[in-house]
Amino acid sequence: MFDLAHILDVLIESYPLFIKGLWITLKLTFVSILIGTGIGLVFALFKISGIKILNWIANIYIALIRGTPLIVQIFIFYFGLAELGISAFWSAAFGLAMHNGAYIAEIFRGSIQSVDKGQMEAGRSLGMTYGLTMRRIILPQAFKRALPPLGNQFIIGLKDSSLASFIALNELFSIATTQGSRTFDEMTYLIIVGFYYLILVLLFTLLVNLLEKKLSAGE
Amino acid sequence: MKKEMIRIENLKKSFGELEVLKEVNLEVHESDVVVLIGASGSGKSTLLRCINFLEIKNGGKIVIEGEEIDPKSHNLNEVRQRVGMVFQHFNLFPHKTVLENVMEAPVLVKKLNKAEAKKEAISLLGKVGLSDKADVYPAKLSGGQKQRVAIARALAMKPDIMLFDEPTSALDPELVGEVLATMKELAQEGMTMVVVTHEMGFAKEVADEVVYMHDGQIWERGKPDELFNNPKEQRTKDFLSSIL
Repeated sequence: MFDLAHILDVLIESYPLFIKGLWITLKLTFVSILIGTGIGLVFALFKISGIKILNWIANIYIALIRGTPLIVQIFIFYFGLAELGISAFWSAAFGLAMHNGAYIAEIFRGSIQSVDKGQMEAGRSLGMTYGLTMRRIILPQAFKRALPPLGNQFIIGLKDSSLASFIALNELFSIATTQGSRTFDEMTYLIIVGFYYLILVLLFTLLVNLLEKKLSAGE
Repeated sequence: MKKEMIRIENLKKSFGELEVLKEVNLEVHESDVVVLIGASGSGKSTLLRCINFLEIKNGGKIVIEGEEIDPKSHNLNEVRQRVGMVFQHFNLFPHKTVLENVMEAPVLVKKLNKAEAKKEAISLLGKVGLSDKADVYPAKLSGGQKQRVAIARALAMKPDIMLFDEPTSALDPELVGEVLATMKELAQEGMTMVVVTHEMGFAKEVADEVVYMHDGQIWERGKPDELFNNPKEQRTKDFLSSIL
């Protein structure tokens, strides 16, 4: 079963196919994380706004997303958005973004609330508005603190993107399953695709660590 | 008669059931230094925080430079530009250098251009004796230096009134002096100041009026001489003997 020479052979000969899938996975992850971070920030601000209606909206959103399986969400987005003529890629991207957004909202909320209350007071006492103090003083500090859990969530997001294979998107994982069933060599392809994900995650971790170091300069 | 900078009438503030300020009346005139003393929990910090609306009063009137400020209809950001505040825990912005801390509000709020703001910030840092720390991050400063930066940061908005909320309480004893010296200099230049402090030496030397608060009320007030040497109220006597 673990014929390393065989796995290496398949790895080398199949790489053009996998690179295509890898590219889609990367695009999907990047887009969904970017939108998800935006969504997360908005809902985090809703949650700390102290405005009841915004609070409720954020709570309902987070409860719905956390309370249902991602695969269900992806299918709902896929079938829902297909009617509007939106492609499988973008339905998967939106689905993943909405999903990540809920978790990122909680990460941001926690990190914003962990910034000392005195920072907001100092900003306000200088005549800065709530929004300005939030943007210039609180969020830069909060973002720095959010980075480790955010990096973690990004890694989860990257791996979760494999679920997009269920809506016929030719990303990394779907390449492995189609090749596996075509050649009856499933195990080899699964090991190979696992290897691709592992490399991606390691590279990504490295990137987050570098960013963390850069942001902590001066403190 | 000097101009009235702050007038407080029947000010009330509660946190839930807890009545922290009960009908406080106070007026502060231009260039005066008013020192608030009292045990912790007496309401002195809350009173200070009500003056720049970090806490919103539950009743009474707050008049700043002749204008009654209603937190519902007034632009509090504009009022706060005229009323600077220095905090016990400095609250410097840790992700910004000393210079950026001082420049931040003038650039963003007063829309001063950066070159001009920088020039003023450097001159203010010179005034508090920290010209050489302009490019340092706050984490690298001692407590006394941090507090002096915080004073420079508040002064950068060119406030008419400065509030100090226990500015030396978080400092190591050997660093208290440098902050008090900066405050004293500011008082001598004619800044209107309201100071909550436990530094009785500062109160005696610099204050025009000392206000003793107890249980959410102004219990006794007077010239430092009178209040320290000849307090009329038994409570004031007890408080003074407990700290001196």
